[in-house]
Amino acid sequence: MQATPLTGPAAAPIEAGPLAIELRNVARWYGNVVAVNDVSFGLGPGVTGLLGPNGAGKTTLLHMLAGFLAPSAGEVLVLGRSPHRDPGVYRQIGLVPEREAVYAFLTGLEYVRFNARLQGLRDADGAALDAIRRVGLEDAMDRPIGTYSKGMRQRAKVAGALVHDPQVLLLDEPFNGMDPRQRIAMMDLLGQMAEAGRTILFSSHILEEVERVGTQILVMVAGRLAASGDFHAIRALMTDRPHMITIRSSDDRKLAAALMTNPAVFAVELTPDGCSVQTAQLGAFRRLIAGASRTAGVRITEVFSEDESLEKVFEYLVRR
Amino acid sequence: MASFVAFSEIVGITLRQLMGRRRTVWLLLLAALPVLLAVLFRAAGRTEIDSYSRIVFDTIAITILMPLVAILFGSGAFGAEIDDGTIVYLLAKPVPRWLVVLAKAISVMAVSIALAGGSTALAGAIELGPIGEDGLKAAAAQVLGVVVGSVCYASLFLAVSLFTRRALVIGVGYMLVWEGALSFMLPGIANLSIRQYALGAANAIYPLPVQESRLSSDTAFILAAVLVAVTLALAVWRLMRFELPGGSD
Repeated sequence: MQATPLTGPAAAPIEAGPLAIELRNVARWYGNVVAVNDVSFGLGPGVTGLLGPNGAGKTTLLHMLAGFLAPSAGEVLVLGRSPHRDPGVYRQIGLVPEREAVYAFLTGLEYVRFNARLQGLRDADGAALDAIRRVGLEDAMDRPIGTYSKGMRQRAKVAGALVHDPQVLLLDEPFNGMDPRQRIAMMDLLGQMAEAGRTILFSSHILEEVERVGTQILVMVAGRLAASGDFHAIRALMTDRPHMITIRSSDDRKLAAALMTNPAVFAVELTPDGCSVQTAQLGAFRRLIAGASRTAGVRITEVFSEDESLEKVFEYLVRR
Repeated sequence: MASFVAFSEIVGITLRQLMGRRRTVWLLLLAALPVLLAVLFRAAGRTEIDSYSRIVFDTIAITILMPLVAILFGSGAFGAEIDDGTIVYLLAKPVPRWLVVLAKAISVMAVSIALAGGSTALAGAIELGPIGEDGLKAAAAQVLGVVVGSVCYASLFLAVSLFTRRALVIGVGYMLVWEGALSFMLPGIANLSIRQYALGAANAIYPLPVQESRLSSDTAFILAAVLVAVTLALAVWRLMRFELPGGSD
């Protein structure tokens, strides 16, 4: 993806140049419920992670991009055309839906070949075999999908979606159910496709999944685009936000006094749970805590953070 | 060529879907009932068109077997895929929606005719075959009636399944209330009765001695064709507007 600059909520401008995916002020609501609210962004070739907690509107957004939902307002364009009610656009789009179900009675190879034939590929058998190899499913390709593990089914779905070598690949939680080795292989495959000029957008609610494969990310919270741009910049934003950490030790008062002298700490409070510390530099704080406890002659028994959940991180991004 | 490949793929996968379900076994058992009765008739030495047509064809084949088979298959062809989400693999393809509907409809009609029509044909051959020309004509008329009825039911409930997830319930309700009760009590609704289309079509070959056949053969064929055309057009219209839910994300 040619970088869309890091921006705050609802302010991501559409970049200049050829874009595979464009959303302009897109909203989608169901009755009184707003699932996607005034989202604008543009994506070119590359891998982009669509990050957000459950209920953020990621699937709704992907379904609009895949032409299976009309926007209630705004404009969705894929390769310059609206995908809604336009089956022809699927020659250039591959979609991996979130739902796990695949035709259980087909073998992996039959399923991918089915996709290839519906795409009208001249050498459907060859393309299907190639796609099966790319996702590493050769050993199981003659088994019915009903006997597959969740991770294998995900790989079969991905093979079916990329069998026609689409320009745009949309994946909804593609790493669900995959073991770490399969995840890495799938991430590498997406990276290779991006290098070949494909535009790949995948959703996830797990930051670490996005970290490995997505150099660019879009962060959605409560239907809005909370941030978009370079992964590392947003990661830093997430990491360097104020953190609240509670420490239990053999002497909380002595530990609090020792921590207060450190510039990484900007507030310390003694609570019934222990010593509650606020820091904006989580990394630096982690490094100093052991030394501080040694200096104070205090034994630390427990350290925990109350705001480390992804939802909390997203809430922080929205507030900014 | 590409359209033909897509058509045959969709037909193939739909047939495997429809025939792979447990309910197909129950339908096969139901389809065996007319054959069994024909064997009993024959064994009892009652080789006659009248009573066989009334008891086996009218009461079982055209009133229970044919509608039940076509409703189950018709409502399941899209319904099962919509329920489990696999419809997306079919629709996220550059295949015209009319082709998808046509392939699904042909598949449903084929299995319905094979099961209900096949059973009717075999039973007719066993019981009516030995009677001679009239018996063979009566058997052929019964098969034609079941074929026309199956095609109508399959089209109707294929379309209904794209509008509601309760297509099966609606289908059984239609079969019991509309066709089973109202069409007998209210002769005026013969124009809206698939059973009447089937009986009218059968009469084109042989005047079967069943209870009420209120439509001429020509009218029955025309109305059946209109029903199939309208319901399949509605199915295409609906499929073009098919939307996936947003999901939990």
